[in-house]
Amino acid sequence: MQLRNGDEAEADISAALTDSDTKAHSDDNNSSEQERTSPVAKAFHSGIGLRMLLFVILFSFGTTLILTILQLYFDYRRDAHAIEERLNEIGHSNLDVIATSLWSIDDTQLRTILSGLLRLPDIQALEVTEEIEHASTLVILAGEKQKHPAISRDYPIIYTMNGLTQRIGTLHVEATLDNVYRRLIDTAIVIMTNQAIRIFLVALFILFLFYRLVARHLTAISESLGQYKGPDSPFALSLPRRPPKYPDELDSMVDAFNGMGTRLRQAYGELKEANRRMVADIAARHLAEQEVIRLNAVLENRVRQRTIELEAANEELAAFAYSVSHDLRAPLRRIEGFGQILAKEYVNTLDEHGRHYVTRMCAGAEDMAEMIDSFLKLSRSTSGALFVEHLDLSAMAAEIIARLQEKSPDRQVTVTVEAGLTVDGDRRLFGGVLQNLLENAWKYTRKTENPIISFGAVRKGEQSCFFVRDNGTGFDMAYAKRLFAPFVRLHRPEDFEGTGIGLTTVQRVIVRHGGRVWAEAEAGAGATFYFTCWDDGGTGAEK
Amino acid sequence: MQRNKILLVEDNDDDIELTLHAFRISHITNEVVVVKSGESALDYLKYRERFAHREVDDPPALILLDLKLPGIDGLEVLRQVREDPATKLIPIAILTTSDDEADIVRGYDLGVNSYIRKPVGFSAFANVVEQLGLYWLVMNTPPPSRPVAGPKDSL
Repeated sequence: MQLRNGDEAEADISAALTDSDTKAHSDDNNSSEQERTSPVAKAFHSGIGLRMLLFVILFSFGTTLILTILQLYFDYRRDAHAIEERLNEIGHSNLDVIATSLWSIDDTQLRTILSGLLRLPDIQALEVTEEIEHASTLVILAGEKQKHPAISRDYPIIYTMNGLTQRIGTLHVEATLDNVYRRLIDTAIVIMTNQAIRIFLVALFILFLFYRLVARHLTAISESLGQYKGPDSPFALSLPRRPPKYPDELDSMVDAFNGMGTRLRQAYGELKEANRRMVADIAARHLAEQEVIRLNAVLENRVRQRTIELEAANEELAAFAYSVSHDLRAPLRRIEGFGQILAKEYVNTLDEHGRHYVTRMCAGAEDMAEMIDSFLKLSRSTSGALFVEHLDLSAMAAEIIARLQEKSPDRQVTVTVEAGLTVDGDRRLFGGVLQNLLENAWKYTRKTENPIISFGAVRKGEQSCFFVRDNGTGFDMAYAKRLFAPFVRLHRPEDFEGTGIGLTTVQRVIVRHGGRVWAEAEAGAGATFYFTCWDDGGTGAEK
Repeated sequence: MQRNKILLVEDNDDDIELTLHAFRISHITNEVVVVKSGESALDYLKYRERFAHREVDDPPALILLDLKLPGIDGLEVLRQVREDPATKLIPIAILTTSDDEADIVRGYDLGVNSYIRKPVGFSAFANVVEQLGLYWLVMNTPPPSRPVAGPKDSL
């Protein structure tokens, strides 16, 4: 009942509002409500407005009902009480007259009285019954008696004569509540109608107010937010109304939204800035990378070129050294050769001094020849391709020792060669290394008693290295660094002969085999030469 | 004709003198023919130019060949000698200061019989020359004088 009322009201309101809202809307108003939904109609059809209306009506109806029932109850009590009063009044004020009339058996008088009383409101029936034992009973009835009267009273009719009180009859009065009920129904109808209209109007007004004050702004806000295209576009929410004197909840909501928009724009701006910086950074980095790559290429190119130049220069130098050595050897041979002839075949024509000079000349030429040979060896050890194969160093060392022993059979040297030492290397060059180191050991133990020479391998930290050890003359470690420089000698040629090229050659060969060579020594207590190969782990087989 | 000549191909006078001296003190008495260039050596062997009138069919018993020569070098002389059927069997010893591996390999490749590096010391050199003479002129049996002896040539 109420819902239907609500629906009707709604339809009316939307019609009214759209009429008052815009002309355009009112044009559409005749067409179906379902097909066209103006924002206003929407506000009524669904959403908070409708629910609010429903709740307001339900609540109002409930309270109205309770209040009406209360009102009716109190009305009923009041009316019922009035009837009782009336009955009592009838009983008290009219009983004397009725008693007198009854005593005198004035029938007419009694009827008149009862008729008069019957006219009083709500009195339905009156009956006087005479109560005298010996006479026939007189009964006078006014109105109609009901089987189950709503209210009935019996009053004794008492007559007093000469001081003697005597009950002569009973007045029976009946009253009806029908009038009371009718009145109550009327009252209820009035109240309900009144309330319904009021509720309806108030609800309408509330709905209208709600739409005016809240719903349309909410719609506007949601539309604005819906059209929000992101932090790039400007965002300023405003309400389509005159601003109230004091800002209300909607204002604070709009402020909050606008603040959010601003902060969003700020954050977006910062993000964009950060993004821009990052892009710039990446670009710069990319550029730098390109530059590095370019520089690397240039550098590599340069290194390649330099390497080629260096290789060419090395080749040239080697060729030069080779040719110089040869070209130097030839005249040297002549000097030495003629010197020898002089010394041998002209020994008688030369005096003591002459012979001495010729000897010195030949010795000088021989020294020079040896130097040239060493020089050639050095030159060869640094140039030319490596032919890497698996070498039995132990066997090679033993062979060299055997040859040395052959050359000076009178020497007693204790030699120990550790068995099974192998390495991947160039046979000719490694032969040179072992030859040099063992020859040195052999040479510098010449003046030692009980000379001992050993060749073996030992672990130094992570690395395994070969060593050649002797207990010979040794040297001062202060000169260790100069040891491997070309033409550097730590001993006087009178003590130990040599060219100062041997260890340089050893070092070059070892370096070409990816290793290191170093010495530990003590003057007068011997020396140990260590060398490693392929420190980087490779075997160099591909070289 | 007894083949006992030694052909010494050497451009340096001092070296020639030293070599001859070494032969002398080693008591090698064979006749030593000295030519100072590769061209002359080939002329001698092929009886050309100034050697056109020398006794025919007189190849040397041994050629001592230096590698560094003006004009045609020693290895080229070796190649041409080995190429010519008339001279290809003549024993040739390279006698040089070079111990370059490439030279050695090339020498043997072209069919040299011996490769000897001249030692610096003269006595060592004299010793080498003596050994050479002994080996090639005394101990060694030389190839037949007509290496390509066909039925037409043999008498």
